Amino acid sequence: MERTSVSKPRAWRDLGARVSMVVPAVLVYVALLVVPVIYAIYYSFTEYNGFPHRVPEFVGLDNYRTMFGSDDITGTMVVTAVVAVVGAVAVNLAALGLALLLRRTNRFNTFGRVVMFYPHVLSALVVGFLWQAVLGPQGVVNTMLEKVGTDSLPFLSDPDWALWSMILVIVWSLFGVQLILYLAGLQAVPADLLEAARIDGASRWQTFRAVTWPSLASTVTVAVITSGISLLKTYDVVVSLTGGGPAGSTKTLAYSILAVSFPQRDIGLASAQAVLLIVAAAVLAITVLVLRRRAEDDAESIG
Amino acid sequence: MKKTLTSAATVRVAFVSLVSLGMLVPMYLLVVNAFKSQQEILANPFSPSFGTATFQYLADAWNNPDFSILKGYGVTIALVLCVNALAMAVCAPAAYVLARTPKPVSRLLLFFFVAGMFIPTQVILVPVIFVLRGIGLMGTLPGLILFMTATTIPFTLFVFFGYIRVLPRSLDEAAAIDGAGRYRTLWRIILPLMRPIVATVFILNSLSVWNDFASPQMILGPGSGVYTVTTGVYAAVGQYSTDYTKVFPTLLLAVIPILVIFVVMQRHIMSGLAAGAVKG
Repeated sequence: MERTSVSKPRAWRDLGARVSMVVPAVLVYVALLVVPVIYAIYYSFTEYNGFPHRVPEFVGLDNYRTMFGSDDITGTMVVTAVVAVVGAVAVNLAALGLALLLRRTNRFNTFGRVVMFYPHVLSALVVGFLWQAVLGPQGVVNTMLEKVGTDSLPFLSDPDWALWSMILVIVWSLFGVQLILYLAGLQAVPADLLEAARIDGASRWQTFRAVTWPSLASTVTVAVITSGISLLKTYDVVVSLTGGGPAGSTKTLAYSILAVSFPQRDIGLASAQAVLLIVAAAVLAITVLVLRRRAEDDAESIG
Repeated sequence: MKKTLTSAATVRVAFVSLVSLGMLVPMYLLVVNAFKSQQEILANPFSPSFGTATFQYLADAWNNPDFSILKGYGVTIALVLCVNALAMAVCAPAAYVLARTPKPVSRLLLFFFVAGMFIPTQVILVPVIFVLRGIGLMGTLPGLILFMTATTIPFTLFVFFGYIRVLPRSLDEAAAIDGAGRYRTLWRIILPLMRPIVATVFILNSLSVWNDFASPQMILGPGSGVYTVTTGVYAAVGQYSTDYTKVFPTLLLAVIPILVIFVVMQRHIMSGLAAGAVKG
């Protein structure tokens, strides 16, 4: 009709305007996020100490061999995986459980939500220092234990304890976000279905299994992916809570990249570790998305 | 029946109260111990010291010669404002065009942008340093602002896109008939309608910029002498972690502004987070 007969120059001008509106975002994004990823991939195949006048020397897969061959670095991979998996499970269980308890909106529940969310507005660095003062060898908890005549506990000074202490601190500071996501998701659970289940005499657990859980599918996906990715890049808490110790028991990959490989001017190795983390994040996201799709298909075939 | 219901409710309230208490204990310790001497902290970490409370340690932390916390607030606030302004300035037009462009092209571009959400940004800091060095912005605030803007683009653009797509196209057509170009339509028609989503994005991006530690630490470096709140806290507390008269007051000063803002705006912050994430 009329719109198709818009004059050529005007159509061109509109195209120009459109392009000029997208270009700035593309430029910033490509220059500072995409190009660095490409650089990381390139450097991961080179030996390079980061000095501007040195040319990176191509060494093929050497950095990846070093990475998977070094006990120290495979140790950090295990720590990272434990933090990500255990942390994500704990965060999501705590968040979903408390979301179910705080579901109804009243004064008490609103207060509870605020209290459980507040650690998220503190930076992870501050959270780490704060918990260091609570759990450290001379920290609050151990001072109290000594006062009542009990032996102090090695929360941060024993390799086995330190990792679990750190996960506890991360869960404490993180689950509030997922709690809010689940609360939002619960609002979308159809009230008439819940009512119907109640009338049919379903138990709480049956109602949850049959009604609430399936309607939460997309929320669970978002919550698991967001918590998993933020756990994969755990760095700030390590710096302030444990410094990677004792004996490397809390050293994550991100910490190893920024606090070990980079200061040692091993740019190739740092980049290889970065590539590994990017791949891990992508695999995590894709896995969760595929699982979710399958779950949705199942739900459709039932309902 | 009624009786079991109320006892279940009691258990629920008791449990939630207990968890809430656990969540608040570290904060309580932070506040109480910021006013005590080292001996008092070690002797009695839990009890408030109304008799001997002193502002001395808070004043010392405020006047720390290595790190001026007031300057830290200033730098961080400037960072938050610049990153937000820049991110919205580049994302709003881009999201608008993508939301109004035929499917395949915009789908592809959107996917390209959203893929950035899955890049653990702290981890690419090493190559970013070389890029910034290449364009001469390494160790400078503009360099840090550009990088932080880039890291917020995927989320900002995605959420804006989702919001604009739902706004009726007839608005654009009416504006076009009145002779408005794309820029004018965006500025006069679309942006005013985007106020709620702009507020949401502003809050969430501000939180992540305010709390970021790795980016300012790596990009500004200790040599630049410019500290954000987080890098300043690290410089002030990092090596004195057993001197609690430094730790508690410095941490308290670092968290007061953000906690006050949170308490005042908690409803908007939490509903904004829900709205922003559920779009996914």
